[in-house]
Amino acid sequence: MKNPRACLLAAIWLMSACSTSAQQSAQQPPKPDATAPATQAGAGPARTKMPEGTNINSDAKLMADFKSKVDDYLKLRKSVEGQAPAVKNTSKPQDLLTAEKALAANVRAARANAKRGDLFTPATQALFRRLLNPSVKGPEATENKGAIKEDMPEPKDVPFQVNADYPRDESLSTVPPDVLRALPQLPPDIQYRFVGPHLILYDVKPNMIVDFMLNAIPPIGTKKQ
Amino acid sequence: MRIRQPLLPLLAVLSLLSAGALAQDLTLPNKPGTLKFAVIGDSGTGDSNQYRLAKVFADIRQKFSYEFVIMMGDNMYGSQSANDYTKKFEVPYKPVLDQGIKFYAALGNHDQPNQANYKLFNMNGKRFYTFKPKDGVRFFALDSNYMDKEQLDWLDKELAASGSDWKIPFFHHPLYSSGSTHGSDMALRDQLEPLFLKYSVDVVFSGHDHFYERIKPQKGIQYFVSGGAGKVRKGDIRDEGLMAKGFDAGYHFMLIEIDGDQMHFQVISDLGKTIDSGIVLRNKNQSKAAPASAPSVNTVEKPIPAGAKPSTATKKP
Repeated sequence: MKNPRACLLAAIWLMSACSTSAQQSAQQPPKPDATAPATQAGAGPARTKMPEGTNINSDAKLMADFKSKVDDYLKLRKSVEGQAPAVKNTSKPQDLLTAEKALAANVRAARANAKRGDLFTPATQALFRRLLNPSVKGPEATENKGAIKEDMPEPKDVPFQVNADYPRDESLSTVPPDVLRALPQLPPDIQYRFVGPHLILYDVKPNMIVDFMLNAIPPIGTKKQ
Repeated sequence: MRIRQPLLPLLAVLSLLSAGALAQDLTLPNKPGTLKFAVIGDSGTGDSNQYRLAKVFADIRQKFSYEFVIMMGDNMYGSQSANDYTKKFEVPYKPVLDQGIKFYAALGNHDQPNQANYKLFNMNGKRFYTFKPKDGVRFFALDSNYMDKEQLDWLDKELAASGSDWKIPFFHHPLYSSGSTHGSDMALRDQLEPLFLKYSVDVVFSGHDHFYERIKPQKGIQYFVSGGAGKVRKGDIRDEGLMAKGFDAGYHFMLIEIDGDQMHFQVISDLGKTIDSGIVLRNKNQSKAAPASAPSVNTVEKPIPAGAKPSTATKKP
């Protein structure tokens, strides 16, 4: 370079520009990565340290996937609702139960190939266990476990089968508000319920178990009498 | 109609009980134009205890014409077939239903959610709902088994829109209770109490614990536990400072009369005796900005008619 002074100024400008760019880069949160791998924990030797925030994004993706599967189920259920007498306001309990059973039969036929884990996929289960942990191990654990335990049926009294009727003579567990807040919100008529430490996805209208996950929370003992 | 011989003693006992109920002095004003209703909780056993109380409940209407009934949940225990609806609800309350009295139900932990579609429970397919039987009084039936965001948002909106009405939520699990089996539901209290305080709720009814309890007003709200219309847990009340009055020795129902800013209550046992009686006085001028601890209600106990005092729970160690 012919002009050493100009050369020096150019070098200073370049250094300054690089430094500013590096600072800006460090202040920005990682970009959302919708394609981040669903499972990072326990991914084995190939696991690489992911930037902070990626977990949150993969959790959000899992939740969105779960909600989408629930919505798909609901669409399916609604699509068969017209094929049987509607579950509607009636003063005849027999009509109510007949409509409920007919709807259940139609839903069962429409998703005959449904299997355990279709909605509660392994990745969703891992996420749900993590989301439920603070409610059943944190400061509110005693209250929350007590509330679940108080009303829950015994696991031996409920069939752990996709598409099975929920037994009509068994109570439904109370689900504490803390627990409901921790999990993705469900559409009306679809509910989370506990049977012992296991979580079921319950559809009120056909009185049906849509899916279930075992050991969603640690064992909580037997219910109060 | 021929009556079989073995039924005669039973009929005689029922007649005596009925006479007891009719002889019972009302402590309620029983004024024309006031809002009169009844409260039953945890009723649906279908056994003789439910039927015995239901008989007293029906007979007392000859003296006090309650216009509707609110149900605190556990409307049906055990199986819930069509026959159960008959045995555990329609038959015991037939005399009252036949008079056109409406029952408004909340769901308990033993209730199948589809009870919401049973017309005689007046839930219109909804697990939580509101109704206004008279100008100035609004009820909120909640599903305390499943207090999700949808329901909390709904309650917030409905309470906000209820203006200066008497605001009376009712649901199964009590926020305050001295029951040693269940007791206060703290997780639920964390969710509901802030809304109740924010919107100056006046009175709350719950069930779940199988006894009667009038709680000392909490942060200006009067809570009642009324879960003994079909089951009783004798000796279950373990008062640790919450209880104003309790009764865990028998079955009961409540009669209520709202007259302006006064809510009169009388609690009747299966023997037709008065267990508790009083007035909840509402301070409708209480500012929304008042501290949460400022009382919005004041409850005054009325004397129980002589000779009608049943044994009541007392403070236990």
